[in-house]
Amino acid sequence: MGVRYIASRFVTAGVTIGLIVVLNFVLFRMMPGSPERLLLGRMPGVSANVLETTRERWGLDKPLFPDQFVAYVSSTLQGDLGFSYAARGRPVTDVIAQRIGPTVLLFGLGEVVAIFLGLALGAWSGWKRGGLIDHVGNGVSLILYSTPYFLLGMGLMIVFATGLGWFPTYGMRDVGRVYPGQLEELIDMARHLALPLATVSLGLIGQYAIVMRSSIVETLSEDYITTARAKGLNDGRVLRSHALPNAMLPTVTLIAINLGYVVAGAITVEVVFNWPGLGTLTVDALASRDYPVLQGVFLLLSVAVVLANLLADLAYGLLDPRVRR
Amino acid sequence: MRSSIAAAARPRLAAHGRPLLAAMLLLAPTLLVAGGARGQEPLVLNVGTDQKLETLNPWFSVTYADYEIFQVQYELLVGFDNNLQPTAGFAEEWSSSADGLTHTFTMRADMNWSDGQPATCADAEFTYQFVLDAVASDAGYVGSGYLEPYLTNAGLESVSCTDPQTFVVVTEFPTTLITQAFVPILPEHIWGEFTPEEIGNLDAEGEFPNEPPVVGSGPYVAVEWEEGVFIRMARNPEYWGPPGVPDEIIFETFADTGTMVEALRDGALDYVRGTGADQFDALATTPNIRVAEGYANGYTYLSFNTRGNTDGYNASTSALADEAFRDALGFAIDRQTLVDRVLNGYGVAGSTHVPPYHANWHVAPERPRNFSIAEANTRLDAAGYERGSDGNRLDAEGKPITLRLTWPDSEDHSADAQFIEGWFAELGIGVDAFQTEEGQLYTDLAGPESGGDADWDFYMWGWGGDPDPMSLLSFFTSDQIESAINDCFYSDPRYDELFALQQRATDVATRKQYIAEMQQLFYDAACYHVLYYDSELHASRTDEFTGWVNQPPETGTPLFGFGYSGYMALQDASAVPTPGPTVVATGAPASGAPSPGPTTPGGSDAGGVSTPILVGGAIALLVAVVGLILWRRRGAADQEEE
Repeated sequence: MGVRYIASRFVTAGVTIGLIVVLNFVLFRMMPGSPERLLLGRMPGVSANVLETTRERWGLDKPLFPDQFVAYVSSTLQGDLGFSYAARGRPVTDVIAQRIGPTVLLFGLGEVVAIFLGLALGAWSGWKRGGLIDHVGNGVSLILYSTPYFLLGMGLMIVFATGLGWFPTYGMRDVGRVYPGQLEELIDMARHLALPLATVSLGLIGQYAIVMRSSIVETLSEDYITTARAKGLNDGRVLRSHALPNAMLPTVTLIAINLGYVVAGAITVEVVFNWPGLGTLTVDALASRDYPVLQGVFLLLSVAVVLANLLADLAYGLLDPRVRR
Repeated sequence: MRSSIAAAARPRLAAHGRPLLAAMLLLAPTLLVAGGARGQEPLVLNVGTDQKLETLNPWFSVTYADYEIFQVQYELLVGFDNNLQPTAGFAEEWSSSADGLTHTFTMRADMNWSDGQPATCADAEFTYQFVLDAVASDAGYVGSGYLEPYLTNAGLESVSCTDPQTFVVVTEFPTTLITQAFVPILPEHIWGEFTPEEIGNLDAEGEFPNEPPVVGSGPYVAVEWEEGVFIRMARNPEYWGPPGVPDEIIFETFADTGTMVEALRDGALDYVRGTGADQFDALATTPNIRVAEGYANGYTYLSFNTRGNTDGYNASTSALADEAFRDALGFAIDRQTLVDRVLNGYGVAGSTHVPPYHANWHVAPERPRNFSIAEANTRLDAAGYERGSDGNRLDAEGKPITLRLTWPDSEDHSADAQFIEGWFAELGIGVDAFQTEEGQLYTDLAGPESGGDADWDFYMWGWGGDPDPMSLLSFFTSDQIESAINDCFYSDPRYDELFALQQRATDVATRKQYIAEMQQLFYDAACYHVLYYDSELHASRTDEFTGWVNQPPETGTPLFGFGYSGYMALQDASAVPTPGPTVVATGAPASGAPSPGPTTPGGSDAGGVSTPILVGGAIALLVAVVGLILWRRRGAADQEEE
């Protein structure tokens, strides 16, 4: 892969992130209502004088351009995303940092499980095109793909948590529980993780399996597959060494897009299981109109998607030599 | 050929997958059985709420959840018992001088904060003086500004300590309200280390969030807090009264009430606040679950821009400034239908701005506006609002009347709006209903006195009250127009006079008379039409804790009321019935009974999941990714071999 190719990808990503930073500034200043009114809410005894003082303190009395914009860009570059309204003045970076771990854990593992199982199911279905496994696999994939996360999550919760009592209903651990050791804590977290992880994985497996299946089916009609068979290679090797690498290209795009969500999280899954990640943070921030936090999450999500796409571009370069030029 | 694929592939896959498969098989039963029995673990009261757990700094309290958190941790100067009557709090005894201006509070000699430091009059003096200074400052308030009015409305003038156990409060007028002040007494040795700016300003350098372990005087204190997620409280070993039965109380916030209710059903929660009406109905028939419908100490209202479209106000029609017009509209609102259809029956049709929850103070209006479209039309005709050729009513300027109806996006009033739109259509009055972003609504509502242009017609929102109706009454004095609290711009010198009179009335009968007249005046002015008093819907499990007692008994809910009596009445359902702790008795001295020490914090780091767990997760991720790469490389190597 040429240096020029890599450099161009990085420059594109950098410019995109720069534009997102600008958009972030404009978007959240177009929101209705004045921040100081929102911040002070219905406080008894708030006078016009207090409102004015608050505006000054938050720098809202200065013109949007250039004063507020320059201050915003400068602080963003320094990693200062401002203060949360709802979290009583805590830095936004702290608020987000507290929630990012659980989300990456849930969706990172969900992605990995879905990639393995989804691609395997898709490849198998495609390989056995027209057979029983294809019909069943494709049908299941379509059902999973078309089922909303919240429905899948609530279904799993009602059956396996409320009904059978095998797993906890919500949260990431039993709050306040004293664990004899880290293994017990790990097991407790795994129990809490089971249902949300299953929801995320099942939702993604459908997507990956469908894309992989159609990709494999298309690849199997290529001449080089016939050549590989003519060379006497067994089916496993034909599939693994010739069909799969070429069939991977479309799925890389899908995986890259979904990797962006590893950071953003599927909001509904986190809400259904009360998982303390970025998804529930986003819902809370929306409910309390905590614009600085929303702005931070938006920035993080956007950067994550851009970086995931950068990774996809680089992976494309590795997978498909034609792209490197 | 087919069989050879299988033969060639299976062993290799098995070799790769064996350790993982084995680990999964080993782990699966462990996951299923783990976490069932609690064994020696503490008896925990798990409470779910639909409100965020946003602050441990009482000065920033806004929601019911915020208030609940601080009142469990900190004693008020005088507490509230199960009947909302004054009971021992930070002070065990109190009395007022004959002129009602000097109030003396006596503290226990051996009372301590949860860190073992003595709790004395100095702490009470520090807290009340902090409020006096904040009110006298340029800002005029501290934090969210919700706590100071409890003292300013009671006429607080000065405070002093005559000895470590005697606190003297002087008020500018005779009052009994000083025993109802909802202000937590804070430990001076903790809070005195910070400036008022650090305590009460959101973005002050060195802002004091009061993070756990919190030093308090109440029966439980916060030992762990993950902001917006949960607050864990452990029993305060220094609490002056008999200890509560739960070893710990954990408050958790839920973004989805469906999940919260499921958690109550499967026993993960013991108490939930904020269920929907349908969920409440379903829970009512669920075994081991007790539901409580509490009367609302507040109401949902329809407020009018009574200044119309003059002098910098921007209502769409001058008719809104006409009391007769607003009065007529009141007859076209079927409040009972709203209760039945919008609240599923969980509420009471509205009348005055002091809800029936305040049984001692609420009065029914002398001239109630009973639902009658015919009556509304007659009154509009009499007031001169004639219909145009198209049947629409015209204002004094001859313009068809179409009113803008809105509500904040933090609440859903679309169903109310649909009904109102239909009823007003029968009067020949158009309604343009829409939701407004809450921040924008604040801006729209403000009148010229508070820097806005009052560009609105009528809107829906709600107010909540305290054990005393003082705050609900205070919103509509003339001086609250500037703060935009008095959002319908109601101004009546007689109402202001009555407010001051009831503040100073020490005789209940006299005060009731003043408050009754205030309700009548405000009702007649048709500034607000109170739509309904919507109920509080709570539910609790009875198989882990018994002793759920509503506060007040007939019309309240066990928790999220006033004070902490509901927690102290709880008993362990699995314990052999013994005379367990009961509601804290008035004036009870420190029991001296050995209290179980504070429960040790869990194995997790404060603030969430411990580092080893996250590291474990990261390792699992890493292993998976490395596995994927190796698999890819193997494929590439195979390809090269060919």
